This record gives sequence, C-alpha cells and structure tokens, in this order.
Amino acid sequence: MADLKKFLIRRVLTFIPTIVGVTIIVFLIAYVIPADPAKAWAGGEKASPEAVERIKERYHLNEPWYDQYWFLIKGLATNTLIDPRTSNPVLDDIRDRFPVTFQLAIIAFTFTILIGIPLGLISALKRNTWIDTLVRIFALIGVSTPVFWLGYLLLFVFFVKFRITNLAGVPPAPPVQITHVPIIDALLTGNFTLFKQHLARFWLPGFVLGFMGTGVLARFVRNSFLEALSGDYIQFLKAKGVPKLRMYRHALKNALVPIVTVLGLQFGGLLAGTPITETVFALPGMGRYAILSIQNLDFPAVVAITFIYAIIYVTANLVVDILYAVIDPRVRY
Amino acid sequence: MQEEYKKSILDKLADKIVYGLGSFISLFKKGWKEKNKSKMEEWRLMLYALNRSPPALIGLFLVILFILVGIFGPRLAPWRYNFFPMLYTKSYDKIILAPPGSQFVLDFYNNTVINFPLGSDHYGRDLLSLILSGARTSFVISIIVISLGVPLGIILGLIAGYYGGKVDELIMRITDMFLAFPALILAIALSAVLPERIQNFISAHEAIQKFILWLFALDIREAGNLGRLLAVILAMIIVWWPAYARITRGSTLTEKEKLYIEAARAIGLSSWTIMFKHILPNIIGPILVYITLDFGGVILMEAGLSFLGLGATPPIADWGRIVYDGAQYFPKAWWLVFYPGLVVMLVALGWNLLGDGLRDILDPKTRRSIEFKVKKSKKEGEANA
Repeated sequence: MADLKKFLIRRVLTFIPTIVGVTIIVFLIAYVIPADPAKAWAGGEKASPEAVERIKERYHLNEPWYDQYWFLIKGLATNTLIDPRTSNPVLDDIRDRFPVTFQLAIIAFTFTILIGIPLGLISALKRNTWIDTLVRIFALIGVSTPVFWLGYLLLFVFFVKFRITNLAGVPPAPPVQITHVPIIDALLTGNFTLFKQHLARFWLPGFVLGFMGTGVLARFVRNSFLEALSGDYIQFLKAKGVPKLRMYRHALKNALVPIVTVLGLQFGGLLAGTPITETVFALPGMGRYAILSIQNLDFPAVVAITFIYAIIYVTANLVVDILYAVIDPRVRY
Repeated sequence: MQEEYKKSILDKLADKIVYGLGSFISLFKKGWKEKNKSKMEEWRLMLYALNRSPPALIGLFLVILFILVGIFGPRLAPWRYNFFPMLYTKSYDKIILAPPGSQFVLDFYNNTVINFPLGSDHYGRDLLSLILSGARTSFVISIIVISLGVPLGIILGLIAGYYGGKVDELIMRITDMFLAFPALILAIALSAVLPERIQNFISAHEAIQKFILWLFALDIREAGNLGRLLAVILAMIIVWWPAYARITRGSTLTEKEKLYIEAARAIGLSSWTIMFKHILPNIIGPILVYITLDFGGVILMEAGLSFLGLGATPPIADWGRIVYDGAQYFPKAWWLVFYPGLVVMLVALGWNLLGDGLRDILDPKTRRSIEFKVKKSKKEGEANA
C-alpha cells in the first residue's frame, strides 16, 4: 500500500507543473491576440480614443508581458477577469453555462457505454463473423463522420420529419440542487416531468456527440476481452469444466481494467467535441460561449474557457491514472 | 483444405508496379535492382496483401479519388468558385437557392443555361463546383499540416528518446503542456487569435502570397482572406506535433537499447546518422499507419473548424464553410448541409479504411502467410506440370 500512496503523491505532484504549463500557453494565446482588441470592444472604428484608452488600462494591454501574465493569472484565480461582451466576471459566465455542457457530455457518455460495450462483447464472442466485420466498419464510420453532418442529418429525421426531439431553449434546473447537473437532480428529486423535458432536449445531441466514440470503444472492448479470454487462467477454468458464462465473468473482470482507462480518456474527448454539437443544436453551453466570444475577439473569455477545458481534461487524465493504479494492483510506476 | 492460389489481375498489376519501380530506381543507382531483390519481394507481398483486403482497396480508391480531385478539382469544376450568377426564373422572380437538379437561364438573349446538379448556395453559386474547388482547400491544408507537423514531432521525439536526460525532460514537458488541452479546443483558440499577425506577414511578402494563392487555386482578390486560412493551418500544426513526439519517443526508447544500435555506436557513427538512418526506418511502420489515419483526422478537424466559422471565409470554397453558411437555411436547403458533409465523411472514411488496412499490410505476419500460399501453389503448379 505504501507503494500506491507514493505513486499517488507523485502523480498529484506532476499535476502542478502541467497546470503552470497550461497557464503559460493560455497566456501566449492571449498575448498574440492582434494589436487592438480594445478598439473592437469599444465599438470599432467609431470608438472614442478615451474609451479605448480606458479599456487598455483596465486590461493592462499597455504593460510589459510579465505584468499581463500576472494580471491574467490573478484574474483567473480571484475571478476578477471581466468579459467585455457580457460585462460579467468570466468565470461566472462559464459557471452558468457549464451544467449544459456537462449534462450533454454525460448523456453522450451514457450512449457510448450503453452501445459500445455490448457491441464489443458481441463482436468478441462472434469473432471473425459478419457481426465482427460490421462492428469494425461501424467503428471506422464513427470516427470518419463529421459531428455537424450527423447532427443535421438526425435533426432532419427526428425534428423535421417526426418531431421526437425538442430544439427550443433549455428546460429550467429543478429547485433543489444536489449535483448541479439538472437532469440528475430532476431524477433524484422525483421531478419526472422536468426529467422528461431535459431528456427530450438532450437525447439527440447526446447521441450525436457520443456516436464517434461508440465504435472505437466497441473495438477496444472486443480486443481486451479477447486478450483476457486467451489468458492461462481461462484455459484452466476450461479444463476444470466451468460453465461458459462463469468463465466469461472471470475474463470480463480482467478486461475491464484497460476499458476503464479508455472510458476516462473518451470523456475528455467528448468535452472537446461539445463546441460543434452545441452549435448544431443551439445549446447555450460552454462551447457555444467560446465560439461567440471568439467572434468578438474577446480574449478574457477565450482564455478562461481554454483554461477550464484544459483543467477538466487534465483532471480526467489524473483520475484515470489513479483509478488504473487502484483497480489493477499489478500496475505500479 | 488449403485455398488454391490464383494470380488475379490486381496481383499481376502489383508485379508490374514493383518491377517498374525497381527498374526506375536502377536508372539512377546502378545495380540497385539486383542488390535489393528481397526488399522488392517484400514490396510485392505488401501489394498482394493490399489486394486481399477489400476495405483497404475501397479506402485506397477513395483516397486516390480525393487526391485527384484535390489537384484537378478547380479545373474540373463547371464554374469558378467566385462566379455569382443572379438567379431568376422566366417570370423574373428572383430565386436565391436553387434545388438540386434544377436549371436556370442565365441570359435570355443568348439562352445560356446554368445547371445545378447538386443545387446552389445562397449566393447562387453551383454547389458541385464549390465542392470540387473545396477539395483543393482540404487537400492542401491536410498536406501542409501533415508534412510540417508530423516531421516536427518525429524529430523532437527522436531527439528526446535518443539523448534522454535533461533534453528528454525539457522536450517532454513542453509536449505535455500541449497535450493538456483537448486538441479541438486549442485549435479553436489558436485559429481565432492568429489571423491578423499572419495576414500582416503575408501582405508584406508578395512572393509568398502569390505562392499560397497558387496552391489554393485562388484569385488575387482573396489575398485579404489568406490570414484566416493560414491561421487554421498553423493552429493544426501546433496541435498535431505533440502526439507524434510522444509516440516516436516511446519507440525510440525501446529501439535504442537494441544490439545493432550499440554496434553502430561502437563503430563511431554520429548520433544523427544513428537516429535518422538506423532508428527511424525501424520505427516508422506504426507511425506510417498513424499518419494515414491522421489525414482523415486533419480533414475532419479542418471541416469542424470552418463549420464553427473559423478559417476560410467566402468566397473561398471550403466544405465546412459551405455547411456553416448553409445551416441558416436548414432544413429548406438541406443540400447545402448534406452534400459537403457527405464528401467530408467519404474522404475521412477513405483515409481511415486505408490506414486500418495498412496496419495489417505492414505486419510481417500477414506477408509471411501470403508468401506461404503463393509458394505452395507454385510448387503444386510445378508438380502438376
């Protein structure tokens, strides 16, 4: 156990330089922003010089680079960085939009797991048959399909033709908040009408976002399950005459270890896919906010969002690494 | 029962290709063909393996089609990408969006007619021409990103893996910094931020500007939009290299411990020779597969970025941008979303199928099994004769 503890401490410690690195890149992004964002914010060519000057003052645009870096870091840490477009602190804006993105990612993740794992198991059990080939092709189509195309295609089928999904606005969050993810809260507090509304709004974008990873996950489950089945202990069970289903249970337990890792990485990947999905389905999430801020060259928002995405991504990786070490006692670094 | 082996037309073609290639190299290096018989035999078996995998063949077909259209697309297109006809019906009601398969009279005096096999966009441009010209944009961008981003990653990975120590630590820390971001998010931020500086640079250097316009087959009028296009390219290069640095470093670490590298070091070869002439050829196989798959990835990401309104601006033809502009007329003008997206999918699918097949083809085990079949049937043929 001491070994595990040591590993955990070391892994958490390497988290810190990564975060510092993230802030550096984020700063560089803000720093290369062209000459005059101030003018654009103040209203373009007609802006009065005083207004431009005031904005420059407020965002430390005239200071040397180290001062700007410090301003940015301090702003992110104390939430004093103001978005010039909405005039709110940037992190507040992100906090308001985060549940939408997170909920979208969770639903997409559910789809990925619910479809991907059974598909993978089936194709492993029916190895080298037409089912297996079909899953392989499905995986390839999954990674080749542009998210926006699939989104509009399914919109056409389910919204224009059949009206099975909802596109307008976002249903409100339930009054009692437990996890701050509306759909889960609605379910936990027993508010089923609200749960249904959320589901009607989110199932299609969730499916579209999750589609890409589904085939990949299926292929991965297949391979790791087959690898587990070829282990010596399975041969032993076979020799002992253990029934097939119990044998699979043993194999599955061992196959799950790498699957958990891939799932963790895919959750990070799903978050990255949210801007496009949110644009197609007009969901007011973090990704949509990023795109709108970018059109306005609104660097505090761009910086903060990039930073938040990176933090989530890095944290997901950290959790995966820790889970991996905890689940599988054979793994030590 | 063993499968009976028969040479198909494709196999005969493979023989000819390899023989031709060998003869071609022999023109420059005397006696190359005789010296490298076994190498040519391996190439032949690789092509045989390719012929035996229908998905890879389909992928290869799609990829070749994409490359051809990428090169000749702007010429094949019935109309230039910046040809904006005013669309009127015979009763002079203005029509903005022409549906697929429709036909319009451009000029009643001469009775000039314009066909829209795939419909028109909201400027009245022919969608087929746009898609054909857009192939060039996609093609050039993917070539530039892969041919700059991948070598950068490979070189840094080789250096980090081979030298180890502080160099390794430094390079990998930087790599980790970039890998801490989801790729698309970093690409979005960068391609939003970079255009103005690139535009200033491009405007100052007329030769570069002309060259890039030629690459993308654009008119001089689009010179002002190049900054945004190049920003997307630069952003994707920045996003793409870290993965390759990590992969290359990993395989370099295992490769450099092997005996032949030690021998090479013992006879006093320079580090660069060892890295690029001995380690690199031995680890390039899996990397080649990644490169093929990543062509699809680059095209998808580029389409995604331009769908978000970054990168190419109209009138430059770009698949993602057509969808971005057409989405506001969805679902009425479904063709503006459907066809460009379909093309993106087919191209990405082609690269992915090819890459997936390449993994098997580059695997020596596949080659040996095919060799076994070929030789066996040869022996049987001789016995029968």
